[in-house]
Amino acid sequence: MIRSIIGIFLIAVNASIAGSFTVFRNVSFLVAGASHSALAGAALVILLETYNIVYINPLFGGILFAVLLALSAGYASQDEGINTAIGISFAMSMSLAILFISMIREYAARVWGLLIGDLLLLTNDDLILMFISTIIVVSIVLLFYRSFLFISFDIEGAMAFGINASLLNYLLLAIIAISVVVLLKGVGAILVFAMLVAPAAAANEVAKKVRDVFIISFFIALFSGFFGLFISFFFEVSPGAIASLTATSIYFFAIITKKYIH
Amino acid sequence: MYPVVLKDVEFGYNGEEVLKDITFKIDEGEFVAVMGPNGSGKTTLLKLILGLLKPKKGKIAVFGVDPSRDKDKIQNFIGFMPQKEHISSKFPILVKDVVLLGRLARKGIVSTINEEDMERAKEALKAVGLEDLWEKRFNELSEGQKQRVLLARALAVEPRILLLDEPFNGVDIPSQNKIIELMEDLTKKGTTVIMVVHNINPLLHHIHKVILLNRRLIAFGEVSEVLKAEKMIETYGASIPIIVCEEGFAHPLFGDTHG
Repeated sequence: MIRSIIGIFLIAVNASIAGSFTVFRNVSFLVAGASHSALAGAALVILLETYNIVYINPLFGGILFAVLLALSAGYASQDEGINTAIGISFAMSMSLAILFISMIREYAARVWGLLIGDLLLLTNDDLILMFISTIIVVSIVLLFYRSFLFISFDIEGAMAFGINASLLNYLLLAIIAISVVVLLKGVGAILVFAMLVAPAAAANEVAKKVRDVFIISFFIALFSGFFGLFISFFFEVSPGAIASLTATSIYFFAIITKKYIH
Repeated sequence: MYPVVLKDVEFGYNGEEVLKDITFKIDEGEFVAVMGPNGSGKTTLLKLILGLLKPKKGKIAVFGVDPSRDKDKIQNFIGFMPQKEHISSKFPILVKDVVLLGRLARKGIVSTINEEDMERAKEALKAVGLEDLWEKRFNELSEGQKQRVLLARALAVEPRILLLDEPFNGVDIPSQNKIIELMEDLTKKGTTVIMVVHNINPLLHHIHKVILLNRRLIAFGEVSEVLKAEKMIETYGASIPIIVCEEGFAHPLFGDTHG
């Protein structure tokens, strides 16, 4: 239970920070691509473990693959649009995930577990990795906050004013990918998109200024996570699924409220 | 020392030639318009001056500095206003944050806003006539107001050279006139202004020189020397009528072409 609560808190921090920049930078599709890429990376680690080659948390493989996808999508987007690049990388990483799963066989359930996730099954090792990843994400964003804001607003202008926009763009995509992996074990690859993007998207609809987007999205993600956990005490349902449904419902509620007010 | 000098500059993307035989010098305090059809290399020219692109051949000097080699140094001289279409309005960034972005970018990663930054930013916003919109959200502004805020961002860094890429796109006439008046004031104070435009007519009475571009330099010089029928055909591939107004300026009549 304590682990679930800590996990939800860390998820909310990532949803706030990385989720908000995902919306600002308009790279929501990256989250879907990175989550499936992370699945491929985790599957590879589990595969190597069955052959006694490595003994590490599969999430390390997830981080590696997710970041690689983000960087290669960033590179390919210089010629093609970023969503096309992500789409192709997405397809490639799903193919790899299925390939590795087919080679794992008896341990395939561990990989399928990452597809669906479970807030109630977070281990101490998972939390340590999630915590360290979150510290990395928060530190980098604090250091480069204004630069990330600038490249999200106007990447050409950012370059013209002396920002190394290319490098910072890669860095931003990489930390979004790391955040995706933080959420992976808790909510699963399928629902990462909902939990990372929906709170920030909802916050973006109602916030009066940029700082408010971060604050509001944190509380939406936190509330959604705790609500999911709460419901799972009374009904045998996935807390991650309830959390994601809550977050996405809040998004649609925000859209309708904003339209109604206007 | 000339603020901008280009000599025999050539540039291309992926083997395709984009600019060739570009040679001109722009003097301090000159207001120069850059014209040409779509794909003629106008934005590329600005990016070469900014040091964002490196020429394949030839030399570029901004106050004597090669921009592609010493980008940091020349960015202290230049303020840039990009095309509005590249701006994202997806989040509730405030006008004051937009105007301050340029100054903060120049100061480096670990920098804080000080009183001088706030003062310069407010002065820049006042110069474009939008001081009342300091706390307003950028995405709530009209297109003309957005352009003026982006101009304020470029002005806030106190540039010696101002580059503007199609500043009048989607902008109403009063906002256009405000921008032109401001440019004239700046050039009188010694700032060099280079402006890419599609329609030069609003500027004609205010500019010193014109560059006609169509992947190569067709003409560069004073308005009366450059805006001639044969030069316009060479640039646009179509005959564009030119009429001379009472003040003696040659106005090309875009929209009335005979191909």
